[in-house]
Amino acid sequence: MSTKEEVLAKLKKSIEELDEDMATEGAKEAVELGIDPITAISDGLGAGMQTQSDLFDEGEVFVPQLVVAADIFEQAIGIITADLSEEAKNASSLGKVLICTVDSDIHDIGKNIVKTMLAASGFEVFDLGRDVSSAEVVEKAKEYDVDIIAGAALMTTTMPAQREIIELLKEDGIRDQFKCMFGGAPVSPEWIKEIGADAYAENAAEAVEQAKKLMAM
Amino acid sequence: MPQIFFKEQGQHVEVAAGTTILQAARNAGIIVESPCDGVGTCGKCKVLLEDAPAGSYKVEEAHYQMPPELAEQGYVLACHTKVLGDITVVAENTAKQNKSLKILSEGESFSYEIDPYFHKEYADGKTKVYAGDKLVGEEDGDTRDKFYGLAIDIGTTTLVTALIDMNTGEELGSMSALNPQSLHAQDVITRIHMASKPEGLALLYGAIRDEFNNTIHALCKKLNVDSKNIYEVIYSGNTTMIHLATNVNPHSLGQFPYTAAIKGGNTIPADDLDISPFGDIYLPPIISAYVGPDITSGVLAAQLEKKKGTTLFIDIGTNGEMILAQDGRLAGTSTAAGPAFEGMNITCGMRAGDGALELYQIQDDGSVKTHTIGDTAAKGICGSGLLDIIGELVRVGVIGKTGRLVKPARGKYPEPLKANMKEKDGKPVFYVADDVYITQSDVRQVQLAKGAIRAGVDMLMMALDVDEQDVDCVEIAGSFGYHLRESSLIDQGMLPEAFRGKVRFVGNTSKSGAKAFLLNKGTRTYMENLVKDIKDVELSQDPKFQDVFVKAMGF
Repeated sequence: MSTKEEVLAKLKKSIEELDEDMATEGAKEAVELGIDPITAISDGLGAGMQTQSDLFDEGEVFVPQLVVAADIFEQAIGIITADLSEEAKNASSLGKVLICTVDSDIHDIGKNIVKTMLAASGFEVFDLGRDVSSAEVVEKAKEYDVDIIAGAALMTTTMPAQREIIELLKEDGIRDQFKCMFGGAPVSPEWIKEIGADAYAENAAEAVEQAKKLMAM
Repeated sequence: MPQIFFKEQGQHVEVAAGTTILQAARNAGIIVESPCDGVGTCGKCKVLLEDAPAGSYKVEEAHYQMPPELAEQGYVLACHTKVLGDITVVAENTAKQNKSLKILSEGESFSYEIDPYFHKEYADGKTKVYAGDKLVGEEDGDTRDKFYGLAIDIGTTTLVTALIDMNTGEELGSMSALNPQSLHAQDVITRIHMASKPEGLALLYGAIRDEFNNTIHALCKKLNVDSKNIYEVIYSGNTTMIHLATNVNPHSLGQFPYTAAIKGGNTIPADDLDISPFGDIYLPPIISAYVGPDITSGVLAAQLEKKKGTTLFIDIGTNGEMILAQDGRLAGTSTAAGPAFEGMNITCGMRAGDGALELYQIQDDGSVKTHTIGDTAAKGICGSGLLDIIGELVRVGVIGKTGRLVKPARGKYPEPLKANMKEKDGKPVFYVADDVYITQSDVRQVQLAKGAIRAGVDMLMMALDVDEQDVDCVEIAGSFGYHLRESSLIDQGMLPEAFRGKVRFVGNTSKSGAKAFLLNKGTRTYMENLVKDIKDVELSQDPKFQDVFVKAMGF
């Protein structure tokens, strides 16, 4: 039987080496050993995601590696948290994030990576999927009582939906209850400023950094 | 009011204080290239301010960072610089660039009977003009020998116009030009966004209408033809271009579920074109929002539905549009490859004009053979050169399987190449000519673009249940493809290895197909029926797409 340290190292390594079988094995061992799920994520799988993210910043790995890493991560998380109650899952979350690809836009590869990186870093993430109407974003943000709303737009033509989310929040008089963070290929810091959002993230690693900053505000 | 003097164009323009230089130029009809439509991201609208006094202008913060050496010389972004007092602006005269652009105007075709939609009948000193069976006008005297039409390929970047004698079918001459819309907004999506607003549509439509009329006048003058004897025009281009060329708001093309506002397969009046008052414009049928009439023309020119065996037909461009044909069964799709192939978002990228590196070959001893358009010193890299470079660097191992630039110490590539790997701002760059280099992010852009095309090819094969090995022939259409070699497409994995030896370049079939539509009316009903049977494979809706796309990004 492996020790706790060995299992955590195995989980980290499985993400670093993109080894799906190793991740499944590690996740099962973590459950058998009764390792705290939060620890398994932060010191195991999450640490591995961090390595991938650093390598991405250095130009060593690219989108394909991150997508595969995210897939393996999600699968292992599924095993580790299978028997966990909702409350336990939320216990030590850094904050709640609602994430989606905005109205009329269906490009979600980048959004999925951001989602996984946020989860790997200890955020509780609600993923609404893609082509989500601004009204639904606001409604769900209220329902889940999230701290941060994150929305991706991958086409110049769908960027205005990010502005719409802000406008709807203002109309409802609840703009100050949520932090809004946006990204996507055509999105720029200037756009974020223009529409009065709170943060811009160029990539997944930056999204995590910005989300942490927003939580500290 | 402040006055701007545009030095290269010799024009003085008065504007309200606070107007941007780009807006001032647009108001005055001066073209300053602004592919991102003034958002401040592309950096291509750089202009030089000559001895501008402090306080006569204000530079606003933009996403694009001007390199310090250029900022020192006085370069600013036209889109993010507001005019407050009199200044002199040096903006490159785009009319000069147009001349050196390399555009392909020929394409493969097939034989068909000369039987145009229009015809003329002479009796009693008058010539009657018919469109189909309908009498549309009358001309004095016998004008039967003066009977012309135009086939226009409306590319996102380039326009090719052919003047054709509708009696003989002979192409009397053809002329190429830059699509003037590309100077306002380079890629298709940016253009859709711009034209979704009335003033944007007016600007883009006006620009292309004027360019059409300029071309008509120039062609007619050169060929000694009266433009009043041109009776029909065929518009062949991608779906967005056809919207913009016919003054139709393209809004729905930019929003899921991406539908076209026009369907094609009909004629519209040609009131805005300087041709016969009885003339019209025929729009070939659209296959789907992102598989346009240019591909319909291509299917017709290449006679895809009649081919035995399996043929893959691809037009490589900003959008990779493709059709897979197997014994008369056709399926089509398109993928967003992005503007990398047009040199956009590439550090040393440029259009296929003078000084663009278009060929790059690494010899066995590690020495490099290159060729630039116009045989001048290399100034940058055009799309075909970019694919060539990436393909070669992957082949010799300068670029690894995941797309990273391999440092000399770790690389197993030929020694002479190791000297070309240098550092710029702390990041590795690979020099392909004296001042021209490839960065890591350039490689990533190519990975996204070629991954998109390859994913489209793979998904299309899956949709018709075709194996790579079963594809008998791959036809690459479009002027971009024509400058490529087969190996540059396969070495970097845009096309599967199994396609080696099967690739043919068929040229501008958008134009040659348009010509067939012009000269043979039977092709119209035939293709209008055929497009209904082309299976539209929608990629982004398919859950398998992400996996296929992600896999296709590797080398």
